[in-house]
Amino acid sequence: MTKKSTLNRFKIIWNYISKAIKNNYRPVLVIFGFFLIWELVVRIFNISELVLPSPTCALDHLFNAQPDANYNWGVHIGVTVKEFILGFLFTALFGIFIAIIVVWSKTLEHVLMPAFVFINSLPIIALAPIILLWLGYGLKTNILIAFLCGFFPVVINTIAGLESVEDDLLDLVNYLGASKFQLFTKIRIPNALPYIFSGLKICTTMSVVGAIVGEFIASDRGLGYIIINSQYTMDTPPIFSALIVISVAGGGMYMIVSFIEHLMMPWMLLTEKK
Amino acid sequence: MEKDSTLRKIIHNILYIVIFILIWQAVVSIFHIKEFVLPSPFQVLGRLFIPAQAKQYHWILHISATLSVVLSAFVVSIILGILLAILICWSKLFSDIIMPIIVLFNSLPKIAFTPLFLIWFGYGYLPNLFIAFLVAFFPIVLNTCTGLMAVDDDLLDLVNYLGASKRQLFLKIRIPNSLPYIFAGIKISVTMCVMGTIVGEFVAAEKGLGYLLRDAQAFIDMPTMFCCLILLSVIGLSLFSLVKFLEKKCMPWNNKEVIND
Repeated sequence: MTKKSTLNRFKIIWNYISKAIKNNYRPVLVIFGFFLIWELVVRIFNISELVLPSPTCALDHLFNAQPDANYNWGVHIGVTVKEFILGFLFTALFGIFIAIIVVWSKTLEHVLMPAFVFINSLPIIALAPIILLWLGYGLKTNILIAFLCGFFPVVINTIAGLESVEDDLLDLVNYLGASKFQLFTKIRIPNALPYIFSGLKICTTMSVVGAIVGEFIASDRGLGYIIINSQYTMDTPPIFSALIVISVAGGGMYMIVSFIEHLMMPWMLLTEKK
Repeated sequence: MEKDSTLRKIIHNILYIVIFILIWQAVVSIFHIKEFVLPSPFQVLGRLFIPAQAKQYHWILHISATLSVVLSAFVVSIILGILLAILICWSKLFSDIIMPIIVLFNSLPKIAFTPLFLIWFGYGYLPNLFIAFLVAFFPIVLNTCTGLMAVDDDLLDLVNYLGASKRQLFLKIRIPNSLPYIFAGIKISVTMCVMGTIVGEFVAAEKGLGYLLRDAQAFIDMPTMFCCLILLSVIGLSLFSLVKFLEKKCMPWNNKEVIND
C-alpha cells in the first residue's frame, strides 16, 4: 500500500517534470536568444559597460573579484535571500491562518474583509520609511516590509477561495451533519488551494520587492544596498549582477511554489491536459 | 434599491474611517505616545490644513509631481499594454517570440531596476515615469491576452462559419470578451503604478510625495510622513475607484469579477 503510494508520488513528480520540459523548451530557447542578442549588440556596437554591460560582464562581476569595486557577494546574497524567504514564509503562514480564522467567524469576516480589500489597494510600500523609524536599521525591518507587501494578496485570495464553495456541496455536508471543523478540512480548504497558490505566487514577487526596497531605503548589507551603492558610484555592472541574483531567487521561489502546487493538487494536472 | 445600497456602503465606509481616527486619537492620548513615535490624527491633519504649517511643505508642488507621474504612467501602460496584447493574439509567430519574454519580465521584481533607470535617464520625471510604467505594464498585457484567448470555441466556429474577417473577429468577439480581464489587469496596475512611482521617488527625485516622505524621515518628522502616507493612499484609492466606476459603465452586463493570478 505505502509502496504503491510512493510510486504514485514519483509518477506525479515525473509527470510534472516531463510536462514542464515539454511545454517550456521553446520559451526557454527564446529567452536564451534574447540574452544572446543582448550580448552580441553590446559586443558589436562596443557599448560602454557603464551604459549597458553584457550578460557575461555582469556574471564576471558576480564570480570574479574586480579591482575597482569588490563586494563580498556571499554575505549580501545571504542577507537578501534570508529576508526574502523569512518574509515569504511569515506571509504564507500568517496569511492563510488569518484567512481561515476570518472565514471561520462570520462577524469577523463582515468587519475585516472590507478593511483587507481597502488596505490591499493602498501602496503598502510607502510604509517602509515609517517602519524604518520604528524598528531601526536591520534585518527585522526588511523582513517586516517584505511581509507586509505580500500579506494582503495572500489573505484576500485565501478568503475568496474559502468562500467560493458550491452551495449544493455545503447543503449536502450540512445535511450529513458535518462539524464546522470537518467542513473546513474536507471542503473549504481543499477547495481554496488553487486560490491560495495564486496568492502565494503574487506574494513571491512582492516579498522580493519588499526586501529590496527596504534595503534601498536603509541598510548596510544586501543586494538592494549593492544596487544603490553602485548607482552612487555609477558602476553599472554590479547592478546587473545583483539584478540577475534577485531574479534567480524570485524565479526559483516561484518555481518551488508552483511545484508544491502540483504536488498538492495532482488533479489540476489532469484537468489541464484536456 | 441600487442607489440605497451604495448610499449605505458610503455611510459604512465613512463610519469606519471615523471610528479608526477616534481609536487612533484615543490610543495616542491615553498612552501619551510621543509625536515622533506615533503622531495624533490632529497633528497629522494640521500639517495639511493649518496654513502656517502647510506653507512650509509646498504640498501642491509635491502632490502634482507625484500625480503627474502616476497618471501618465497609468495611461501609457494601459494603451501600450492593450495594443501589445492585441498584437500578440493577432499573430502566432509574434506571440511565440514575445510571450516568453513578457512572462519572464512579469515574474521579475522590476522595482529593483529603479537605480538603473536613474543612471540611464538622470533625475526627474522620466525615470519615475519609466519605472511606474514598467511595473504597471505587464499585468495589463497578460490579463488582456488571457481575455482575448478565453473565447468560447463554439462562438469562434460560428463566426468563422459566417465568414467573419479577422478584424471583425477581434472587434466583435475577442475584445468585448476580454473587457472583464482587462479591467482586472488595470486594477492590479493602479496599485502597482502608485507603488512604482513612490519607490522611484524614494531612490531619487527632488519633488514628489515619496521624496517628501524620505526627507521627513531624515528629520524624524512623523506627522509629515503620515500626511504623505494618507495623500498617497488617497491618490491610489481614487484611481482605483475611478477604474471600478469605468468598469461598471463599460460593462453594465457584467457583475462578477475575474479572479486572476
